[in-house]
Amino acid sequence: MKLAAIRPITLALSRELVLTALLLLGVSVVVFVILYLAPGDPFSVLLEGQTPSHEARAGIREALGVPKPWYAQYLSWLGGLLRGNFGTSMRTGLPVFGELVRVGFHTLYLTLGSMLVTLLIAVPIALRSSVRGATGLNWPLTMLAYLVSALPVFWLGYVAIYISIHQFGVFPLISRVSASAGPTWLYALLPICVLGIGNGTLSEIVRYLREEMSRVMVEDYIRTARAKGASVWRHAFKEGFLIPMTEIIAAKIPFILGGAVIVEQVFNWPGMGRMAWQAAQDRDFPVIMGIAMLAAAWVRVGSLLQRVVYVAVNPRASKEGRRVGRAE
Amino acid sequence: MGAPLLEIENLRTYFYSPGKQAFVRAVDGVTLAIARGETLGVVGESGSGKSVTALSSMGLISAGPGVISGTIAFRGDEGERHLLQGLEDYVTLHERDGRIMEVSKDETGWQAHVERVMAPVRGKGIAMIFQNPRSALNPFVTVGHQITEAIRLHTPTKDPRDAKARALDWLERVKMDSPRLRFDNYPYGLSGGMCQRAMIAMALSSEPSLLIADEPTTGLDATIQSKIVGLLAELKSEYKIATMLISHDIRVISRLADNVAVMYGGTVVEYGPAPDVLAARFNPKHPYTAALLASIPSAQNVRDHGDLSAVEGEVPDAIDVPRGCRFYARCNRVTDDIRNTCARQEPELREVAPGHRVRCWLYGE
Repeated sequence: MKLAAIRPITLALSRELVLTALLLLGVSVVVFVILYLAPGDPFSVLLEGQTPSHEARAGIREALGVPKPWYAQYLSWLGGLLRGNFGTSMRTGLPVFGELVRVGFHTLYLTLGSMLVTLLIAVPIALRSSVRGATGLNWPLTMLAYLVSALPVFWLGYVAIYISIHQFGVFPLISRVSASAGPTWLYALLPICVLGIGNGTLSEIVRYLREEMSRVMVEDYIRTARAKGASVWRHAFKEGFLIPMTEIIAAKIPFILGGAVIVEQVFNWPGMGRMAWQAAQDRDFPVIMGIAMLAAAWVRVGSLLQRVVYVAVNPRASKEGRRVGRAE
Repeated sequence: MGAPLLEIENLRTYFYSPGKQAFVRAVDGVTLAIARGETLGVVGESGSGKSVTALSSMGLISAGPGVISGTIAFRGDEGERHLLQGLEDYVTLHERDGRIMEVSKDETGWQAHVERVMAPVRGKGIAMIFQNPRSALNPFVTVGHQITEAIRLHTPTKDPRDAKARALDWLERVKMDSPRLRFDNYPYGLSGGMCQRAMIAMALSSEPSLLIADEPTTGLDATIQSKIVGLLAELKSEYKIATMLISHDIRVISRLADNVAVMYGGTVVEYGPAPDVLAARFNPKHPYTAALLASIPSAQNVRDHGDLSAVEGEVPDAIDVPRGCRFYARCNRVTDDIRNTCARQEPELREVAPGHRVRCWLYGE
């Protein structure tokens, strides 16, 4: 890549980073306020089953620093965050940051893997039907993609478990093998496939990519590429594939994360979604806040990458802000 | 002279219109030939089938269930090729009275076959430049890269640095200003005229035997138009490359063409040496050509603020093609003697002078 092309990318990147910081701040305020207003508190959960004295309750509250107004609590949390301290879990007492890293990677594997599955199915269908139209195999394949991605992921998950584990005895449940040193990636295949098929992005990718690719395929410059005997795919790649792909993936990250929460529950997958669920049950505020931050950052990273790709690929976008006069 | 470089015989390109359940006969029996070093001008109104003829020769007709028939022989450096040969295997035509009534077509097989036949011809044998050069260049790729791509695909120059040197050379030959700067520009940063120069450089850099220029000046400013025509004229005298020049602009054709084919309603109505066909007072000629010539504003015309004569009426319907002469409804020279024949029967292309043929009953027997 030429040096001249790097500058607009750093420009776009820094703009996106500032936006990300503002967005994370907003998300943290909103989530914090919601948690504050929500009924229940971690102490009743922690002390469940006991009948604590008034003193015991007060002691715990004192130790956890609660009797401050909500904005003071928020500011102290924010202060900790800025120093890289996410606080400690109220339930386990472990630092939230370490927990986030651990579960974050598990969810990363799950979502990236499922994305790969989605793409492997969606891209060939979309490209085939963009070139050939709704003929032959393309129509049933497209319909199948639509149908399959309309299946709810929890249902799909249970059906998959039932069929593969109870009928065929393959794919042991994760919880049984997580302790062993065996090839765990193999057992991860089932939840990855379920999320890849059931997260609802399959049909969207087929539809969006097909539309964009067919639109580009009738552009004048593609006709020029044909006329000069060059590869049509190579000429259509940037506008017809790369840009729409990054756009739709960035737009779908929240939905994939949402699907991951359910898949992690169904398959007992030790990831972010399951931890968030557990933390919500426990009213484990620092953990919930940490996961909210991580999920929001994740979504932003997706759109950030999309923006960078767009600016890197599209010469017009990279010239935004510094207009150049046309010659002749 | 030998056999012509490109010989199109009885080319018919029909598109199927599902809405009207009928065929649109964009090209309906065109016969043309281009000799080596010759520039053939193809002139006619919009919708006369000029561009479709060119695109058919390049296998670039993509409209779904359309059909192409006839023969196109191309005799480039690598021997003779028949560009439409074998396509009939993918189509079953049901004809009645010489007209196609119904078509069943294996679209996928047809496309694959076209790609196979055209692969060695496109770029290397026949190169093409288009109208609206700004949208015809890939907006995501630098001008220089688009030219080096053609060079590396079709000439023995494979090394990127050599290819760049050659591309810069070509940019200079098409009079691009500051070629080194433009080489790294994207098309959007260039004006229409510069884009067309880049297109021409790209087309010629692959050293084709035939150049098809499809309305090369359309979509450009008037001053840029004349510059591009000037450039084409220079390149013509310098490289003697055979060219099919398509334009609705008779002035462009008259500056560049050796021979002229006048197209009307999907057929050639007059064909001959440019000086004869385009001479205002040359007789005999087709009434349509005469009407076209009369519609060019002359200097005299402008000075007198005289009325500009237009060709009366509309281009004939390409679906419901009239049975007789296609120009009959708009013709102002039809006489009572031939009126009946004109309305009923389509005239043949008849030689009226050596190498000059006209499709009109005025010059019958």
